[in-house]
This record gives sequence, structure tokens and C-alpha cells, in this order.
Amino acid sequence: MWHNVKKQTLSSEARLAKIERDKEKIHSYNKLKDEIFKIRNEGSHTVEFLNKLTDLLGLNPEFYTIWNIRRETLSSLFHQHQLDSQSTLEDELKFVMVLMKRYPKCYWIWNHRLWCLFQLGKDANWEFELGIVSKLLSMDERNFHGWQYRRVVIENLETHDDLENLKINLQEFKFTSSKVNSNISNFSAWHNRSKLIPKVYHLVGKLNYQDEPLFQSKESLLLHELTLVNTGMYVDIDDSSIWVYLEWLLSDCFFIDELSNDKYHDILNDQLKIINELNDLEITDNGKDNCWCLKAMIIINELLDNRSAVRPLLEKLIDIDPLRRGRYIDQLDSF
Amino acid sequence: MTLLSKKHIDYVVNLNSEMSKQSYEHWLSEHLRMNGLYWGIMTLVTLKSLDSLPRQSIIDFVLSCVDKRSGGFGAYPQHDGHILSTLSAVQILSILGALDELDKESVIKFTKNLQLPNGSFQGDSFGETDTRFVYTALSILSILEGLEEELVNKSLDYLKQCENFDGAYGMRPGAESHGAQVFTVIASFAICNRLDLVNDKLSSWLSERQVKNGGLNGRPEKLPDVCYSWWILSPLAILKKLKWIDLSKLEQFILDCQDDEGGVSDRKGNQTDVYHTCFSLTGLSIINDELYEGNKYDMDSIDPVYCMPYSATKTFKPWPYKS
Repeated sequence: MWHNVKKQTLSSEARLAKIERDKEKIHSYNKLKDEIFKIRNEGSHTVEFLNKLTDLLGLNPEFYTIWNIRRETLSSLFHQHQLDSQSTLEDELKFVMVLMKRYPKCYWIWNHRLWCLFQLGKDANWEFELGIVSKLLSMDERNFHGWQYRRVVIENLETHDDLENLKINLQEFKFTSSKVNSNISNFSAWHNRSKLIPKVYHLVGKLNYQDEPLFQSKESLLLHELTLVNTGMYVDIDDSSIWVYLEWLLSDCFFIDELSNDKYHDILNDQLKIINELNDLEITDNGKDNCWCLKAMIIINELLDNRSAVRPLLEKLIDIDPLRRGRYIDQLDSF
Repeated sequence: MTLLSKKHIDYVVNLNSEMSKQSYEHWLSEHLRMNGLYWGIMTLVTLKSLDSLPRQSIIDFVLSCVDKRSGGFGAYPQHDGHILSTLSAVQILSILGALDELDKESVIKFTKNLQLPNGSFQGDSFGETDTRFVYTALSILSILEGLEEELVNKSLDYLKQCENFDGAYGMRPGAESHGAQVFTVIASFAICNRLDLVNDKLSSWLSERQVKNGGLNGRPEKLPDVCYSWWILSPLAILKKLKWIDLSKLEQFILDCQDDEGGVSDRKGNQTDVYHTCFSLTGLSIINDELYEGNKYDMDSIDPVYCMPYSATKTFKPWPYKS
């Protein structure tokens, strides 16, 4: 599968030259592969065999069966005490690291890294893993594997000590702050933030932890997040991440359940006012309404039970957001 | 641009030609061969040209990939059984009307054994879990009539935990929403006859995936990719919300991603592959049915739940089974 690779057109000479070059590569690759399957079928697990597997995975880390054979072989060698498991697994992590740098999107490499760490058990250095994944996410900030891996690392850093866990998750919350501050469009960071806020809040309450003023009440937390989002709207009004996050803030029961009705309505009306002003600026600057502002106004008006205000907004959206025209028409019809 | 059907058919047929075997990359992709064969077959089915490939050789190849130790199918002879290649194998045999050649009990057992106590499925015995694998398992079991109540309920419980505040789904509980994951969850709900579990917000989220040039992306603020013409469009079809995006603009985006020499790439001007070719054309077939009553392009209709032709899926027994 090719992603984001420009098409290459080779001249006929270049194509013939490639075929010539590939002949040797195909030959040695297939020879190595056949040898490996032969040895596997014989059930022989030796250190030399591991070296062959290393060579093949260096050529093709997507070959999942070879990873399986590698794990079978390692387990067997550990079991027979032919290899010291701790030092071998530590070397294994170094080998995996080399491959990860070359192929950061290969599922099997990530999978094998986790296998090694779980084999290491209490000797696994999850702090080190956190450092690696932070570095990866600084180079490729939306990398799906990277964020998933980060969550697994955090799960493994967590212990039975609530205070420790609070500190770990607070640090994660701050990590998402630094990510969205450097790029408001990083929805992966917003997403993680939405998972961390309830978790940290719960731990703060449980421990009666006073050192984090932000997490002392849901209301202060909500207002803080709204300020962040409102700033984001002025940075880039067309960034979908902040609007998705805004909807979560204004509608999720985590925030709302403990607010008095009056307070909730005040917050909704404040947001409506801010977004209206922003939209007016857009009209002045660009001569038309902004889609995201209108969509947010619809959500807020629905939360306020102002159904009469929704219809004209939907009618405007039909004109200015033609891609989703059918959706707005359906929504109008449902009145 | 028009639909280059003939070129795409030749493109697929030539994927296994002597010429492509001269390239090193061909040999490096054996681990995807079973999936690739399914993608190629679906391209041909969509273009009503399945007879361009030799039926018996395909069946022979598929059966040669059975991994006797696990009971599943590997991607290639001697490769380990994995749930992804097993689904492709089952789909191919079903499309070719050759399910009788399969040891169904062994495949059902292989699949069921991969479910973990929390309801998720591993891809193989080495433990990677993902919402994709839940769908893969349910689809295999649905095709082979091997669904069971406890397995279905546990799967549904797990999938529900993967829902996020935006109404969409991630690969695991806590993971960010992603277009391909949404397909796997919604199609799973459809297989289990539980579309009532879908969050009202989801259709809006799906419609927001369409970007200005008509293409669909898989997550907010990402570039469009032609494969989402399937991953995003099929859940919209299942939820009967196809009108919520501009299908004509998507149609144009898909056609623009075609290569003059056949095949389709993720975006215009990029390197083609059979994965993007399959999921762009199956998506185009949905558009052909929705906008043109199946008459604009000479294409077969594709079932959005299974990504297989209706001619195959109409025989699947709906869940819950009547005793």
C-alpha cells in the first residue's frame, strides 16, 4: 500500500536496469526466506537462526510470520537457558528501535516492541519508552501508532499508588497543553485531553489534592478550557479540531451535571455571544458567515432549547456549506 | 475524467504477471498476498469482470494458504494464520461460490479462539488487539454461519467502549476516532443487527470528513485519501445518510485519482496500488447506485456491510439466527 508517494515514471533503460538490479536482490531474499522456513519446519531454535531472522526483518519488517518465528525462537532459547533473557531482550529493543526509525508506521514493529517489554516484566523501563514516544510525536505529531503507544506506556507506568498516578496523568495533561499550544490543529492531543480531564479530576478529588488549582472544580476547569478554545478560534477559525472539542465541553455530562441551570445557561449564552462576534468579524472581512460559527451556534441554541433560532442558521448553511447541503436539509425537515 | 474500466481490469490481471514478478517489491509483499487477491477480486467484481482471472487457480491458491497449526489462513503458503488473511480467504471463496471447499469448523474454531475475555479479538496468538479484528471475526463468522450469542454480546460491549465524545470510534478504548475504525464498528453493529447502538452524532462526524476538493479524510485536519471513499462512505450507506455529503464531488475526486495506465492512488498523481484501486471503485459503485440508479457506470452493486457483491451476501443468514 502506497501512501503519499509520488508516481515515478522510469525510462525504459532505467526499468531494465532495475530489473537487472532486482534479480540479485530477489534471489538472495528468497534464498534466505526458504532457509528460514526450512529451519522452522525442522523445529530447530538456535542463536544462528536468530541472526538469519534479523537479516530478513531488516529487509522486510512487514513479514509478520517472521516476527512470530522470532518470538517462538527467543522463548525457546530462554526456556532452554541458552540465552540470558534480560540482556537479550534489551538488545532486542535496540534492534527494534533501528527498524522503528526506518518504518515508523509498521504495526508489527510496535507490536514486537511491546512483546519484549512485557517479557521483561518488572525490568522493563517504561520511562525510557515515554521518552522515545515523546520524541516520535515531536517529529510526527499525529502519528496514530505513536499516540496509541503513549497510552499503553502510561498504563504501564501507573501503579497502585493514586498519588503517583495523579502525577503521571497530570504530566500527560500538560503534555497535551504543550501540543495544542504549539499547534492548535493537533486533534490527537485534544482527544487525549478529553480522556485525561475526567481521570485527573477524579484522582484530585479522591486524594483531596490541593496543589492543582485548575482541577479544584469542574466549573473552573470548564472555563479554563473554554478560554483555550476561544483563543484557538481566533488563531484559526476554520480549524475543525477546536470546534469538535467545544461541542464536547458544552454538552458532556462530566461538566454539565454539577452546574446549576442558571450557570449553565450563562456559560452557553457567553459562548454564543463570543461566536456571534467572531462571525460578525468574518462577515466584515470576507463578506460571508463562517460555517463553523454557524454550526456551533446551532449546537448551543439547541442546548438552550432555542429551536426558533436554529432554522435560519440551517438555511444559511445550505448556501455556504454546499458539501453538506443534504445534511442541513434533513435537519430542517426534522423540525 | 471518465472511468478507465478496461485499464483497471488489465492492471489487476497483470499484478501477478511474469513482469511484476521481476520486481523486488513483488516479493516483499507476500505478507499481503491474500488481502491483495481479495482487493483485486473486488476490483474485478465491481467492474463485472471476475472472469478475467482463472477461478480454479484462485481457489487452489487460497486453499494452499491454510495454516494447519492454527486452522486459519496465512497470507501466502507457509505463512502463519492471521485473522486478516482468514477473512480475505473466506470472502474470496464465498464470492467464487466455493465455500464448500473450506473446512468451516476449523476456521470457525480458529476465529472464536481469538476472542479475549474483554470481548476484543487478537489478530493471532501473539496478542495485538484492535477494533478491526472484532469486525473481521464477526464477518468471518457471519459468512460461515458461526455467530453465537455470548460472542456477539461480548463483542458489542467492547465496541461500545471504543466510542468517543465525537460519536465516532477508535481502535481501542481511549484511542482517537478514525474513519476506518468507524466502518468496522458500524458494519459490526449491522452484522449483529444492532444499529440502534449508533450515536446520533456519528453521521455529522462522517459528513465532516469531506474536504473542499471532494475527497474524504479519516480524521479531522488530515489530507483526503481515496480509500476513505469506502471507509467513510459505507457507514453513511449503512446509516442511510449518503445525501449528507456531496457525492458528485467525491465521484470527481475518485476519477481524478485514477492513473492513465490503470489503478488508483491515494491522491492524484501518486503511486497506485490494488488496495486504493479496490476501495475507490467499491466506493464509486455506491455512488453509482445512489446518484444514477446504477446506470452511469457498468458496475456491480456492493454490500456496504461486507464489501462483497450482493449476489454473495444475500445468502448470508441474518443474526439473530432463527432456531
